[in-house]
Amino acid sequence: MALTGDLSTFNFVDIFQIIGRDKKSGILFVEWKDLTCAYYVKDGEFIFSRPVDKVYRVYADKDFDLLLNKLRMGPESLPRTVERFLISRLGMKEGIFSFTPGFIKYGSDYPVEYPIEHLIVLASRHLAPQEVQRKISDDMLLFERIPGTEEILSKAKINKFEERVLSLVNGNKTVFEIRQSAGLESLVVDRALYAFLALGLIRRKKKEVKPKQANITLELLTKIIERIKGL
Amino acid sequence: MKTIKKIKIVVAGPFAAGKTQFINTVSEIKTVKTERRTQQPSEKSVKDYTTVAMDFGKIRIDDEHELYLFGTPGQFRFDFMWEILGEGALGIIILVDSTDPSTFHEARKIINFFQSRFPVPMVVGANKQDLPNAWSPRDVMIALDISEEEGIPVIPVSAIDKESVKKALLTLLEIVKSNLTS
Repeated sequence: MALTGDLSTFNFVDIFQIIGRDKKSGILFVEWKDLTCAYYVKDGEFIFSRPVDKVYRVYADKDFDLLLNKLRMGPESLPRTVERFLISRLGMKEGIFSFTPGFIKYGSDYPVEYPIEHLIVLASRHLAPQEVQRKISDDMLLFERIPGTEEILSKAKINKFEERVLSLVNGNKTVFEIRQSAGLESLVVDRALYAFLALGLIRRKKKEVKPKQANITLELLTKIIERIKGL
Repeated sequence: MKTIKKIKIVVAGPFAAGKTQFINTVSEIKTVKTERRTQQPSEKSVKDYTTVAMDFGKIRIDDEHELYLFGTPGQFRFDFMWEILGEGALGIIILVDSTDPSTFHEARKIINFFQSRFPVPMVVGANKQDLPNAWSPRDVMIALDISEEEGIPVIPVSAIDKESVKKALLTLLEIVKSNLTS
């Protein structure tokens, strides 16, 4: 099942989140205004990128190692392609993406200089105010740290400003209070929070609201269930 | 004359998520719609008419009870209706157009809205699964930042298919039942 969308409404942080969370493998295509790029993803990591003139030609090369041979490339040069065709384009917002899972056969290990966690952080630094507002939509939102995420944090390679924001997430401070305490531009704080959400370092804190007891008897509820089944 | 007791389920979600269709598919009466022509260019390109107050469908349970299905308008500018329709609901189904990731963030905001006001069981229906470019429910769940702790199942839905709509309703009702018995 391909994942398709538009970068203007579903940005790179969002895409990386989807690919990274389930460690997907496949190829991400992005049709930019100036060129189309194919991004090769193995177990949730971007290992290789290249511009392509026709998307269908990519499907002809189903064996990744054979493709590298054909392109006369060694594994050591793969990270440079990620830098050149992905990282340099993380700030570009106009493009159509499509992720096709599976289909390509990868060999053993390939060097990963930019783990998906780090890519999420890099991409988040390009988010525009209207983009961060999609997730950090309310000053009163409360976030809390998710325990056991040290490995994610080490791979994310956050900077000292982002570290400061993360240190303020404690389940008690609202977004508004985090912005106040951080002493940073609001956009910097919001971008960091957006990235932490995508990384799975933080989550929305569930309000301690007592679930409302349904005003209905078990007998009636059972009757409704049976009625729906019989429709 | 007997008074009919009304039980309410709310069907919410972003613009063009398939809420009206969902209710149409299972309602025993012709769905009461409050549609007007779309005005904004971004909406006109998707569909000609949109719900502005609510959709209303009904399923007769027995001589004394009816299940009401209320569909909310999708746009945030009608959120005052969400507040009205959510009051007293047994549960809430949030529909998301699985083929349109541009609406996922909107869907999350709608979840937050209902979560904060109406602490009742909620199910997310990843709708339009019958279409070839639909995202899987699992991917929709990740995109909506729904964590396991939230206890909101994300299930596949095709609002044009009666069995699929029934399944969504039953998933919600089973959660209500389990809350009632725990």
